[in-house]
Amino acid sequence: MSAPNDDNASAHSQLSSHFFAGLLDSIIVDVASECHRIARLGLDRNLEEEEEELRLSAQARVTVSDPSNSGEANNKHVVDIFGQTHPAIANEIFECMNCGQSIMAGRFAPHLEKCMGKGRKARLKSTRSSKAVQNRYSQGSPISTYSPYSNSNNMYRIANGTSGPTGEEYADGTLEEK
Amino acid sequence: MSGRNPTYTNPKPCKHLADYKLKHGLDGYNSLQKSLKTTPNGRTAMNRDQSKIPRCSFCSGYEGRLYFCLICSSVSCFSSLELNHAFLHSQSVKGHEIAVDMERAELFCCVCCDQVYDPDFDKAVMCKQIMEMPCNNNVVDVSIESSNKRRKVAPKKTALDLKNSRDLVMRLRRESNSCFLWGLRGLNNLGSTCFMNSVLQALLHAPPLRNYFLTEQHSRESCRKSSFDGLCLRCEIATLFSAFFSGDRAPYSPARFLYSWWKHSADLASYEQQDAHEFFISLLDRIHERGEQARPSNKDNGDCHCITHRVFSGVLRSDVTCTTCGFTSTTYDPCVDISLDLDPRNGCAMEVADGFIKQSETKDMSTLVGCLDLFTRPEKLGSDQKLYCQHCQVRRDSLKQMSIRRLPLVLCFHIKRFEHSPIRKMSRKINRYLQFPFTLDMTPYLSSSIVRNRFGNRIFAFESDEADISTEFDVFAVVTHSGKLESGHYVTYLRLKNQWYKCDDAWITQVSEGVVRASQGYLIYYVQKILYHKASEDMLAQPISPHRDSFLSTSVCC
Repeated sequence: MSAPNDDNASAHSQLSSHFFAGLLDSIIVDVASECHRIARLGLDRNLEEEEEELRLSAQARVTVSDPSNSGEANNKHVVDIFGQTHPAIANEIFECMNCGQSIMAGRFAPHLEKCMGKGRKARLKSTRSSKAVQNRYSQGSPISTYSPYSNSNNMYRIANGTSGPTGEEYADGTLEEK
Repeated sequence: MSGRNPTYTNPKPCKHLADYKLKHGLDGYNSLQKSLKTTPNGRTAMNRDQSKIPRCSFCSGYEGRLYFCLICSSVSCFSSLELNHAFLHSQSVKGHEIAVDMERAELFCCVCCDQVYDPDFDKAVMCKQIMEMPCNNNVVDVSIESSNKRRKVAPKKTALDLKNSRDLVMRLRRESNSCFLWGLRGLNNLGSTCFMNSVLQALLHAPPLRNYFLTEQHSRESCRKSSFDGLCLRCEIATLFSAFFSGDRAPYSPARFLYSWWKHSADLASYEQQDAHEFFISLLDRIHERGEQARPSNKDNGDCHCITHRVFSGVLRSDVTCTTCGFTSTTYDPCVDISLDLDPRNGCAMEVADGFIKQSETKDMSTLVGCLDLFTRPEKLGSDQKLYCQHCQVRRDSLKQMSIRRLPLVLCFHIKRFEHSPIRKMSRKINRYLQFPFTLDMTPYLSSSIVRNRFGNRIFAFESDEADISTEFDVFAVVTHSGKLESGHYVTYLRLKNQWYKCDDAWITQVSEGVVRASQGYLIYYVQKILYHKASEDMLAQPISPHRDSFLSTSVCC
């Protein structure tokens, strides 16, 4: 095969450029034709609105990140729009609907978790003994698909049976004992 | 047959096209049909003679754009404004002005030198395409059939009787001595329950849900008798609604609600920070389940009539197309929210320096619209995911595309910020900023738009255009998460009468719109701008679309 000389090479690359240009033109017209149709048929998106939203968001980000803006006060000593202040931990007191104890709002969830025998620790324990418990407590339960610790009738029975339960004992001890 | 297409603007034909139509009618289009060929990805081209390359009748060239004359079938080329043989053709033979772009099967006016449009032409192209497609007809619905389907969907909406609830709610509002920021109230954190508080705030201010519960469509008296353990989750929610809209301003402790929820969701009951989205889905699930005891309803395809589905349920469409033959298999699935992956940022991967966002970089961020584009983009299924094509009878490479078949009244977008990697046994949170608009038009993501686009946006009745559901949505609640995966905090921003309020557990404060725009959205709630009311008696009535403010805040005091 003869070595390609410069003339051949430039003709070669000229030809490839030519075809490439042709392909590129074809693609450009393709896209233009598609967009033309979309625009003419009224199918295009409202770009002005979209850009306005983008602009407002960009502006907002700049404003918010500006340290001179007070922004939102994240501390819990702020006065709300009704003129009220609230402690960091909610201090409303009410009765637990499961055991009747008086609980502070901010500590209600952890209390209830233990009280109802739910939560990770309680769950692990009860799944181990669940089969046995199910046999004992599932009579009379109208919905058989419910696992025992979620059947309220049984729970009330358990809760009333023990004297002044602390959460732990109730979850760990009493279920197994009976 | 291809009836009204409310979403198209029918483009006016140029003088030359109009003349052509008068003289030749549909003859040219019909005889063109045999020369049209469609590829599996929905593109139609002219494929006249398999053995020869079409050449220009003037210069015998085959380069540039080729146009096929509809009257004499001669081919002329267009390479540039100087080398415009298509125009020459129209000048040399009188009346030969309309041609077809061979590569795209588009009408071209040789005199105007522009692409022109004719519904009849598009129909001819589509008919050919439909005939050629591997036999399935669920992609292209005949317009008559589809308009019947649409009518059947209508009656369901009457239960959310807009006018009656408006009247009742107005009365309630007057009765609750305080009109000022009606319904705004803090929620006490009961111990890592901000995930619950944040979602509850959003739900308490979802207009259709609020109307339903405040007009006591879930009657607490009759309910207590029927439920087996005296604990109905819907009753608890109704209690929440009346507590919130009572005018009382002290923060409310949703203790009974928590108790009730834990009773019904044994698996999620634990004192630890949980995912707000998970809570949202579980709650909707529980309310739906509970409802079925009273009123057994059809669970399939969002035809359920429980309140949560009437408000949140939409239908997603999934199309899987064989890339070899074009056969498409379509499935519909109901959904109560849309989970979106964050779209990658365009442009440079550089982090933007704090606070200084240059003009050119405003596009270099994730946007909700970008996420939706990603969601509805045709996705090439990997070669390890080859699906069985019924037409080819073998496993083939496929394309999958999602779209929204039916929009709900309230649209909840869940931004997938929490990534769980089972391989690395790690989870991480994506803190990237997501821009979201306050007004959102969902039209581009509807199945009708997506399918139409797939077939070249021809003027044709593709899908039952959901003319009775508005596609314009307004944001009303944004649940944000700040901090790390394990130890973060949820806060909800609510929009009441175009003013934004931050609901951070017990603390309600007013914030500027900018704060909300700049926040890190995790669950973003939109509601339909226009809520429709359709008379159940008159199935054929046109939808009444009063331009009502869906926030019920118009003609009342303050």
